[in-house]
Amino acid sequence: MTIPMVFILLSIIFVVLRVMPGDPVSSMLGGHAPDSVIEEKKEQLGLNRPLPIQYVEYLVQICRLDLGDSMVFNERVTKSIADKLPATIELTIFGSIITLVLGVFMGAYAADKRRQPQDYLIRFYGIVIYCIPVYWMGLMLQLIFGIWLDVLPIAGRTGPRVFASMFEKTGFYIVDTILVRDFSALADVLVHLILPSVTLGLVLSGVFVRLTRANMLEVLKADYIIAAEARGIRHRKIVYKHALKNAFIPVLTMMGLQFALLLAGAILTETTFSWPGMGRLLLERIYLRDYPTIQGIIIVFVLIVAMVSLLVDIIYAIIDPRIRY
Amino acid sequence: MKFWKLLIYCAIVLTLALFPIQGFAKSDTLVYGTTEKVTDMDPAHAYDFHTWEIFYNIYQGLLTYPAGKTDLAPGLAENYFISVDGKEYTFELRKGLKFSDGTPFDASAVKWSVDRVIALKGDPSWLVTEFVDRVDVVDKYTVKFVLKNPVAYFPSLVASVPYYPVNPNIYPVDKIIRDPSEMKGGKLVGLGPYVVRSFKRDQEIILEANPNYFGPRPKTKRIVIRYFADATTMRLALEKGEIDLAFKTLNPSDISDLEKSNKINTIKAQGPYIRYLCFRCVGPPFDDKILRQAVAAAINRPPLIQKVYLGQNAPLYSMVPMGMWSHTDAFKTVHGDGNIAKVKKLLASKGYNEGNKLAFDLWYTPSHYGDTEVDLAAVLKNQLEATGVMKVSIKSAEWATYKDNWKNKLMSAFLLGWYPDYIDPDNYTAAFGQTAGSRGMGIFFSDPVWDKKLTEGQTLADMQKRTAIYKEVQQMWTVDVPTVPIYQGILYVFTQKSVGGVLLSPTLRFNYDPIYKD
Amino acid sequence: MPFSPATGLAQLISRFTGMGKKYGVEWWILVAGALIVLAIVLMAMFSGAIAPFNPHDQNAGPQLAPPGGQHIMGTDNLQRDVWSRIIFGSQTILRIAVLAAIFSSIIGISLGLVSGFSGGFFDRVLSLVMDSLYSFPGLILAIAFATMLGPGVINITLAVSVIYIPTYFRLVRGQTLSIKEELYVEAAKAIGASRFTILWKYIFPNVIATTVVVFSLNIADAIMIEAALTYLGLGLPPSIVDWGMDLAMGKKFLPSGQWWLITFPGAMISMLAIGFTMLGEGLSEILNPRLLER
Repeated sequence: MTIPMVFILLSIIFVVLRVMPGDPVSSMLGGHAPDSVIEEKKEQLGLNRPLPIQYVEYLVQICRLDLGDSMVFNERVTKSIADKLPATIELTIFGSIITLVLGVFMGAYAADKRRQPQDYLIRFYGIVIYCIPVYWMGLMLQLIFGIWLDVLPIAGRTGPRVFASMFEKTGFYIVDTILVRDFSALADVLVHLILPSVTLGLVLSGVFVRLTRANMLEVLKADYIIAAEARGIRHRKIVYKHALKNAFIPVLTMMGLQFALLLAGAILTETTFSWPGMGRLLLERIYLRDYPTIQGIIIVFVLIVAMVSLLVDIIYAIIDPRIRY
Repeated sequence: MKFWKLLIYCAIVLTLALFPIQGFAKSDTLVYGTTEKVTDMDPAHAYDFHTWEIFYNIYQGLLTYPAGKTDLAPGLAENYFISVDGKEYTFELRKGLKFSDGTPFDASAVKWSVDRVIALKGDPSWLVTEFVDRVDVVDKYTVKFVLKNPVAYFPSLVASVPYYPVNPNIYPVDKIIRDPSEMKGGKLVGLGPYVVRSFKRDQEIILEANPNYFGPRPKTKRIVIRYFADATTMRLALEKGEIDLAFKTLNPSDISDLEKSNKINTIKAQGPYIRYLCFRCVGPPFDDKILRQAVAAAINRPPLIQKVYLGQNAPLYSMVPMGMWSHTDAFKTVHGDGNIAKVKKLLASKGYNEGNKLAFDLWYTPSHYGDTEVDLAAVLKNQLEATGVMKVSIKSAEWATYKDNWKNKLMSAFLLGWYPDYIDPDNYTAAFGQTAGSRGMGIFFSDPVWDKKLTEGQTLADMQKRTAIYKEVQQMWTVDVPTVPIYQGILYVFTQKSVGGVLLSPTLRFNYDPIYKD
Repeated sequence: MPFSPATGLAQLISRFTGMGKKYGVEWWILVAGALIVLAIVLMAMFSGAIAPFNPHDQNAGPQLAPPGGQHIMGTDNLQRDVWSRIIFGSQTILRIAVLAAIFSSIIGISLGLVSGFSGGFFDRVLSLVMDSLYSFPGLILAIAFATMLGPGVINITLAVSVIYIPTYFRLVRGQTLSIKEELYVEAAKAIGASRFTILWKYIFPNVIATTVVVFSLNIADAIMIEAALTYLGLGLPPSIVDWGMDLAMGKKFLPSGQWWLITFPGAMISMLAIGFTMLGEGLSEILNPRLLER
């Protein structure tokens, strides 16, 4: 993602937000506030100035790396984002691990068993799982594991008796609980991660099954694989070590591109599992028309997407020795 | 092999998961679950039911409602006197009180706090500025409120949160506080039975008994308020015994299941919360009161409540809620429920019939009043259309837009709800029927006779005369119908069997200090 | 040989299986997808005839009755028949998804054609805009647009279509760029064909084939975005029957044992999306034989 692209996105979001009916002041004040107070607040927040001026000021503010204050609550935007970001990151990391493990292994297996029933089954799984809305998958898992079998918690980051304020430092609960060595709290945090990350991981694994399978098919046809077979190296080792390693590089690139999909999935997963992350924050603030916070969240999303593609490039260079920057 | 390593890690995680979670909470701790949210920890700006509830427990008013009661009792003030013209209220404060940090409490703290609310112009500041001209410190333990006009219900106003004295040493004069961490010293310092020990927004608030509290010691030493993002999780936590008490707001289906459960205690009380339908009384179609009457007669409350809320609210036939003095079932006797014959007759007189239906938009807001709202709109539409002479289209807007819409007169009929600011019939009537209040709610009803009557109710001190006035106003409501009352909320608290001392009252106050755990 | 229904049918079947032999599993994926889509389209077209109840009838049966008897999918808390709501809900989702796909393909294809053909500053700016839209999570854009436009069928359709315009644009622009270098386009230019004629007669027909596959996959995706928007409560008034909305309403009955309120609407959304995806997958393998691995 390039700088001009970020700029264009921000401009689009700016325009969309200002065209939306409603404004942050009326959502903040109760029905009793007299018009004079409302006008005063609008003046104070700069909402009465012409849009082009607001736009330029907004861009200047962004360039100074300042996300500003919320227009609805007495809160810095950076603070409300910092409160919610770790939850989303924890969820997406675990979700993508599950996606990768499931997707890559199933894809490799399918390629190995090409044109056999296992292959068809896995490909069918790929299509079906991709088409299941992530929130419905979440609800069904909640119903089965949370209500019927009653083995897993269905929502939130911790149970009601584990108090985050007792251990919270970084906001990443796994790290925090390890830092204070509260292992029962850690176990609770991990148990709460299971259903949301499995949901997110399962739904996105479909894409990776297909990708890995397609790449594996290419790689398995390559000369060096055939040569390895001829040399009598164990078939399983060839497929899952040599071939998979080579097929993995394009998959990883796709992972970078699919990260936007992962974030979108995370928003829906967060809503279903009451996960206190960025997605829920975004929805809540859209309802309140809290312009600075919405813009701040979008910027953070854009930054994450950009950072992931950078990260993918770096990993790419490490895995594939032919690439040098 | 990396794969095997991963598998081992998974195994470790699973073993950890199987360890029982050591309950952090001990028996002197009560965990209270809610789906509400705290807004600003500042009496100058907080204007919502739940934040006020916390203030009831960490601060005190000059006058207060004891747990479970609807009559005012002395709080920080031992006594008060009213001047003959009804415009001066003098309060004599208790002596020797201390804030939880040891700062002595006196009349200057009262004046400082009220002046601060006036100066900051926060959301609820109108509760002070509309009535109070100035506050005078008479002596160290005497404070005098000078009012703009005589106000019959001023004592109940004084019991509301914007009048609460705060510690001048920790609240900034010119800034509204959101989190306790922003205060001088980084801690909330109060006068009530509890103090805030730790505060984590949207997660939990830990309260501990205030050692400097002048009243009886709270029965439970520590209260943890646990914030749930959804009702489903809260219900499951209650059933598993992970929380001791759940209050506001469970889904109707959860409430009916929990009520049947023999492992859970149910405490139920009439709430002061009402829902109603508003009309825009200017412009077609509802500038015509006959049409408003027709809609009022078409609504059928009991089946509506059964469908949408599984029967968990009470049908309401007046804007003054049940349980409050002067309440009458005016709409029941005049319009009835689902009175189709009457609707047809009324509309026929205006030329509407099966061939020429009265068509209008019915507005609702999808998340502000919870997700049952869409059902409420759907059922209302069905009931109105069941008369055969109305055609209703449902429209919705998020809260921010909704408010703009009513100010801009865009909605001909719309659903709203009301939590009282102070406990008096005036708060349920003047806000909708008096010209100024009505304009603010998007109703735009204006009638000099009503204005005069309601002003009289505000200023007269004689209870009997006031009761007569509000009874008359409720009767007038059935004729002019600026709004149609639909239902009154019922409050539900669910607790474990071991928990006692939960006292609910129609004042919506929920005091934590009488609650105990065996 | 005289035509008879029996031989006609036999021919049809043999052609069907012949195609199956020729294209293998892909053919059957295509057929299965088409059948699912067909079934739901028929459901939408003949809703009134199939549905046992009016979907808005609030006295269709007892409150929250489990599936069985008169109500094969049970009833909801407003005493409406879930199966009838499922049937009528198919109309809403199909209409929005198909309209959104048509809308975004028309805009995306025409912008892509013009942009790729004319090149220059216009092309660079438009590509940049489209690329930035493309790289951002579509759902968030759709949420923003849906909030901006407010609730309603048309507005939701627009919000959904916005996020697919870049997909068509990028596809078509890329192809236009390569086709415009082809000899026959050069030839057309040489004989003095107008720019419009070249675009319409020489480039467009070559581009359209690939977009067919994307179109079908696009509908599948639009179905899920539409349902996501209405699930999040952005979108439609209750007078419109919609699966996503019913799913959101049923969510709160999760712990009370009324599983049918969430199971059926969600299953239908998945089925419909699966149908269109299989259709698209099958088409793509058959239309682009070079991708076909044997």
